[in-house]
Parts: sequence; C-alpha cells; structure tokens
Amino acid sequence: MRTIVTLVLLAPLVAAQETRTATLDNGLKVIVQEDHAIPNVAMYLFYRIGSRNERPGTTGLSHFFEHMMFNGAQKYGFGQFDKQMDDHGGNNNAYTTRDDTVYTDWFPSSALELMFDMESDRMRDLAFDPKVIESERGVVYSERRLSVDNSNAGALRELAEATAFEAHPYHWPVVGWPSDIESWTMDDLKAHFRMGYAPNNCVLVIVGDVKFDGVMDLARKYMGPIPRQATPPEVRTKEPEQRGERRVTLSKPAQLPMIMVLYHVPDTKSADTPPLQVLGTLLGTGQSSRLYRRLVDTDQLALSVNGMVGNSLDPSTFNFMIQPRSGVDPAAAEKALYDELAKLGSEEVPAAELRKAKNQLLANHYRQLKTIEGRANLLGSYELFHGGYEKLFTAGEEVEAVKAADVERVARQYFTARNRTVATLVPERPEAREVTQ
Amino acid sequence: MKHLAWIVALGGTLCLGLDGQVKLPSYTREVLANGTVVYFVQRTALPLVSFRVVVKGGQESEPAGMAGLSAATAELLRRGTSGRTANQFAEDLDGLGGSFLALEDEQSTAIAAEFLKKDFDAGLKMVADAVLHPSFPPEEVRKTLARRGDGLKAAKDNPNMAITSYYRSFFFGSGHPYGRMADEASIDRIRRDDIVAYHDRMYVGRNLIVVVAGDFDPAAARARVAETFGGAPSGDAYRWAADQEPPPNSSPRVLLIDKPDATQTYFVIGQPGVRRSTADRVPLTLVNLLFGGRFTSMLNEALRVHSGLTYGASCRVEMARLTGGIAISTYTKTETTEKAMDMALDVLKQFSERGLTAEQLASGKASLKGTYPPQHLQTAEQIATTLGEMEIFGLGRDEVDQFFQRVDAVTLEQANAAARKYYRNANLTFVILGNAAKIRSVAAKYGPAVVEKSVKQAGWAANGSIL
Repeated sequence: MRTIVTLVLLAPLVAAQETRTATLDNGLKVIVQEDHAIPNVAMYLFYRIGSRNERPGTTGLSHFFEHMMFNGAQKYGFGQFDKQMDDHGGNNNAYTTRDDTVYTDWFPSSALELMFDMESDRMRDLAFDPKVIESERGVVYSERRLSVDNSNAGALRELAEATAFEAHPYHWPVVGWPSDIESWTMDDLKAHFRMGYAPNNCVLVIVGDVKFDGVMDLARKYMGPIPRQATPPEVRTKEPEQRGERRVTLSKPAQLPMIMVLYHVPDTKSADTPPLQVLGTLLGTGQSSRLYRRLVDTDQLALSVNGMVGNSLDPSTFNFMIQPRSGVDPAAAEKALYDELAKLGSEEVPAAELRKAKNQLLANHYRQLKTIEGRANLLGSYELFHGGYEKLFTAGEEVEAVKAADVERVARQYFTARNRTVATLVPERPEAREVTQ
Repeated sequence: MKHLAWIVALGGTLCLGLDGQVKLPSYTREVLANGTVVYFVQRTALPLVSFRVVVKGGQESEPAGMAGLSAATAELLRRGTSGRTANQFAEDLDGLGGSFLALEDEQSTAIAAEFLKKDFDAGLKMVADAVLHPSFPPEEVRKTLARRGDGLKAAKDNPNMAITSYYRSFFFGSGHPYGRMADEASIDRIRRDDIVAYHDRMYVGRNLIVVVAGDFDPAAARARVAETFGGAPSGDAYRWAADQEPPPNSSPRVLLIDKPDATQTYFVIGQPGVRRSTADRVPLTLVNLLFGGRFTSMLNEALRVHSGLTYGASCRVEMARLTGGIAISTYTKTETTEKAMDMALDVLKQFSERGLTAEQLASGKASLKGTYPPQHLQTAEQIATTLGEMEIFGLGRDEVDQFFQRVDAVTLEQANAAARKYYRNANLTFVILGNAAKIRSVAAKYGPAVVEKSVKQAGWAANGSIL
C-alpha cells in the first residue's frame, strides 16, 4: 500500500445526530444532543472563567474554586453533591484551564432532575465555610506538589510559560503560585464566585438519553430563576510582540534533562489554526511523523518528542517538549528540532504527507465522538473556543482546505528564533547543591 | 482537576435486558484449526473496526532475569516485518489514520488497533503482518532496548510512577513473577535471540485470541481472519504456572526510597489479596469501592475531604491470574507524612473492625452498577477488552450478563466478612518514597527494620538488580 487516499469524511454522520439549542431569559445557553442508544447522560457545564481572569495575588483561584464547588451549597450541604452522585450511580469530575472551568457529570438518565437540582443549587448558593476552605487549600497544594513541584515536565512548563508571557495572564500557572495558594481569603473567593458563576456566563451541554423538551423544562425550572450578573471584566492586557529569543534553565535533581520550546501563535479562532494543527500532526503524530523519525529513531537523540497547540481565547503558544536520551547534549536535540522546523518553512510538504497528516487529524477528531462525554466536551469546547458549537460539524472541511502553501507560510511566520522561548531542565546532583548552599 | 481519574467514562451502547441487567451484545466465538480463538462482535454506530490480539503469557511468562522481554517484543512487532520496514509500517498506518498500540500486563500482551471500516482488509493485514511476521531487524532491536533503558531513568524522575515499581519489587520479591520488574540490568541482558525465541514460542495459534469488534461484513471478516491468523503455526499453548501467593510477612516490612529533592512523600501500604478467579470477586470489588475506590471512599474522605492532607487517597485490589496484593496509596507533604500514614492505618483498622453499614452498601451497589457498564461495554474496544479478559481468565459471559444480580445479591454479612478477611492491619508492607533525611524516623515507626535505597541507585529491588 503505497498511496494514501482521502479519509472518508464522517462529519455528515456527526451532524446527523441532531443538536438543538435554546437560551433562557437569564442568558444560560443550553445545547442538547439526544442519543438513546444508552440509558446514560453526560452533562457538562462550561463557565467562562479561568486563570486569565485572575490577577497577581489571587492566581489559581479559578482552579481552587473548581474544588470549592464540590464542598456544599444551600440545599445540598458539605459532601452531599458527591454522595448523591454516588448513591444514584453517577460520577463526576471537573477541570480548569486558562480560559474556562468545566464541570462534568455522568449519570443514569433517571438522575437527570437531581443533577439539575444540584447544579443549580451550587450555581446560585455556594456555601463558604472557613474550615472547609482551609482543608481544601491543603488539597490544592497537594495537587500542585504532584503536578508541578515534583514533576519535571510540570515544573519546566510552568517556567517556560511564565517566560514566554510577560504581560498577559497566561504568564501564571492555572494551579496558582505557591504563595497565592497560601493566601487566598474568603473575600477573594466570594468576589470570584460573583464574577464567574452566573447563568449568562455558562454554557450547559447535555448529550445522551434525554428529550430536548424535557431538558428545557428542567433548565427553566431549576436554572431559570437564577439572576444574570455582570460577566467577568474584559482581559485588557495583550502580550506584546516578542522581539528576541528567551532562554531559561531549571536546575533540579533529575536522571535526564528535558527541553521545552514555545512559539507565540494566534488564538483558536484564527484562520491559521487549521494549518497549525496540520503542521503539528505531520511533525509529531505517529512514528512516521518528522520529529519522531528524526529525533527518536534516526538520530536517537530523544526518548520522546511532541508538539501541539491547545485551545485558547487569547493568543497562545505552540509548545514542543523533548525528553533527550541519556548522554545526549540537549543542544543537539534542540538543533534537530530547528532543522525540521526550518525545512517546513522552506520546502513544500509533499502531497502524500499532507494527505496523511489530514487523515490522522480527522481520524483522531472522530475518535473523540465515540462516547457521549467525548461529544459533550467537543460541543462545549467548540462553543467557547471556535465561536459556536456548530463549527464542530465543519471542522473536517477546514482541515481539508489546508494547502501545502499554508503550512509553509505558518511555519515561516511563527517558528522564528525571535519568537521563541526555550526552557531547559538541567539535571543537578543533590550533593553539589548541598555544597554550594 | 477535581481529582485524578477514578476510572470514569460513560456513554456507548450497552444493552439493557428487561430486568435492567446489562448484557454483552451478541458475539460469535470460534476456534481456528491452529488453535487461535476468534471473536466477532458487531457495533455499527461508527464506521470503525477494532482488532484486539491477545497473546497469553505476559509478565508471568518472562524467563528468569529477562524482565521486560514480553514488552520489548511487543514494541518491536511493528519495527520491521516480512512485508514492511519499520518506516513503511509507520507510513501505511498513519496514512490510513489507523492506530496500533501494544500493551502488556501480568498475564498477557495485547495489540489494540483500529481502522476505518473501509480499510478492514488493509488494517487486518497490517496487524497480522506485525503480530505473526515481525523480522526484528538487529538495528531496531538495539535501538528499542537502548530506549527502554533510558525510559527507566525517566521513570525515576516521576515519583508517582516510580513508587509502583519499587512497591511491586519489594512486596512480591524476586521469587514471584509479579516482583520481577524490568530494570537496567534485565534490559541489558536481553539479546535479539531471546526476542526471536520468545516470539516463536508465544505468538502461536494455540496462544492467540483475536477479537474483531465494530462495523464490518461478518462473512468477509471471517474469511480474512482465517486467511491471516489461521496461517500461524499451532505451536504449544503457554502452560500457566500454578498460583503463587505473595510471600507472607512475619512482621511488618518497610522500604524507604530516598529522593532528597521531594517535597512530598509517596507511600503504599500493601498486603496479600486475591486472584481474578476468586469466588469473592464481586463482594470484594464492592467493598473496595467503598473503602478506597471512589471519591467518597473512606480513605479519600478521611485523607482528602475532611483533612486536606492529600489530593487523593485510594486502595486497589489487583485482579490478575496469580494472587496479587491489596494496596493503599497516597501522598502528602513531607511534614505530614506521619499524620497521613497513621490516618490511612486508622481507616484500615476501623474498616477491618467495623465494616460497612447497610446504607453504605446500598450506595456502593448503585455506584458499581452505574459505572460498570460504561467502563466495560461502551465502545467496540471496551467490548473487545472484556471478551479478551473472559477468554484469558476462563470466565463465561455470565460474568457480565449476571453482574448486576450478583452485585444485588451481596448481603451486608458477606460484605463485612470480606472486609474482615482481606483488610488486615498486621504485618503490612510499607513502601515510602520521599526526602529520607526528614522522614527516616517516621519510617522506623512502622516496622522492626527499615530497608533503604536511593532513587540514584540502579534497579527497583531493595538489594540491587534481581536475577
């Protein structure tokens, strides 16, 4: 099999599952996709508030709030949300990003009304118990120690992003600086709740064994009475254009070094996003990708390498992460990355390789549609980051439209030395550190 | 994140019986002339097809001193075959937008691949080519083993992962197959000849299970599978070893791993448990869910929800072919190591002595039934995994089809008997990873002697590499 054919577009299939939407008078947007194949429901609430809405001194508050939302409201007190969920065969989690805070509930469809009751209770009347806040502060600090302080990748990423963003709130980590975690006050929490938790700042996505009319009845009954509020203030600060390479090192006891390279790129709504996604795929997805072949296989410089751009409301970065092999000079791995990026900007991508990358991208996209929770997450993410959930149904066409010249152009435009931040983890021997101290 | 995944996933297409009991969808099972067991199960919601090839053996089947051999063999399957170089395989797979993963556990290696429905023939040929006809080019073998050696170094930079390897090595010891963890020395010992011999011995008809799940034409699929996997040599079925229990402790045992830069302590508290085929599996799964298997479990409520000592505390019951362990695990900042360990032990003691209430049991049943089907029967791959496990462990479809009834049938007496029987608080095994200078005296509290090792030392075993 030497020729690569076009992947059959599955988009019509996705669209065939009818998606309906309505907005309550208080501004709550509800998106519903009925799927009766299973007696379960995925209910996702996307609040448009994340670490970009914080300020120095209260960094990490959005994420802390994500935790506090499980610690009791007026009707369902401390621990009740999780207990009721478990007692009714459901399950839940939540996540916070720089741009949004998302609450994810999965449950048998028989529990739908209970979920509306509990979600509306905490959207309107969250409890603020000082003792609970202190305990949860410890939990969040433990999460930080797990994912940043005691994780090489987490610590390096935090440093790299703080270096690439000097002015914009993407400068600080979602989990928050340690001293801020230690210092949030009750007033900070209450102000944050008022700022972000209102129906007009939320998108509710429900996929699964429900009826649209039934969902809207429950939404009106439980969430309709919750008043709208002012939305979070606009994030005014824009990151100034970077004018010159920035390099930082992190010294840490480690077996192996690690490198992160960040390039500033536009936000998700930009027309350059599809070419950047195609570019990321042909660089880093699969063992046939350029970076795997060069750094991991042929030159044996790295254990792993990846490159990606995530969703963002404001201009963000395209991040590369390289785990060099033992005995390899990290500079050699870094240079190999730049060689490959330069090639993309100077040589047209062969048609077959472009086709392959699009097939991979489309296949991975559609794999997320296998489950009701995958679809709920995509619908909400498209609503927030792409400007409308319906964009999900044309995502395949946007990828298809990318031409080799687009890939070459974005590579030349963004992957420049002056636009890049390089963070290197340099393994340090613990004994050496003790001596210098 | 609110918490790390407690295995949460919903959706898919599970089948509900009239009694509310979930059932496996209809499938066929047949045995080819060469001994290969083949399952076909149709799911037509998406135009995708999933191939899962299970090779019996896994970690248990690795020769002495060759820990990591089965995983290295599996990783190399696609790195050069009779029909393709490693690069050609990668180009063809990626060109189709296909996926191909090799996974390994205590008793099997699984190759999980997925293709579009229209690529059924091409996809199946690629999978069969890799599984049955790998050429193991010497250069690819050398590169893969070298990468695996470096991968072990990288693993030690991740304490949350590393503690599991230290724990398994210490808890099971070198005399138990589950205690033989791949390390620098065992990887160094593996030669291409060992890999070829392992493949010749294990990747044979009598040792293979092939599950085809998804959207396909049944008649054509049957013919294509017979043409490909039916051509494998029959070979000899892997002879499972007799059950072996983890070595019992006559007194508590403590291993302390020193990572001087750690700002929190990771610990595991283990004790002997069960094997997958135990008659107690349903009550034990149920009581463990309540003790340490969900967000509102006793452990997580105590150590996280009510005290803020950790981001998460849990307990896992290993359900493998041989008797495994029951392991409590969590982490806390260095300063609260003793408090968290004492609290975990206290929760264990309370559970062992007092067991559950009727209300807790009812909640556990609801949550086990509510989350089980989505985790096991949601997508074509999950169904393929479930069928593969049924075959490996010799279980019937009643394992799924009667699961709800079996959960409902567990009485409070049975649940509490399981709690008393399996959750003991004497002669435990403690593995603690953190800044030893600060927690050495704490570790000494839990056993008569503390074995100490540094993350800088090679291997996972307390006394150097295991032979």
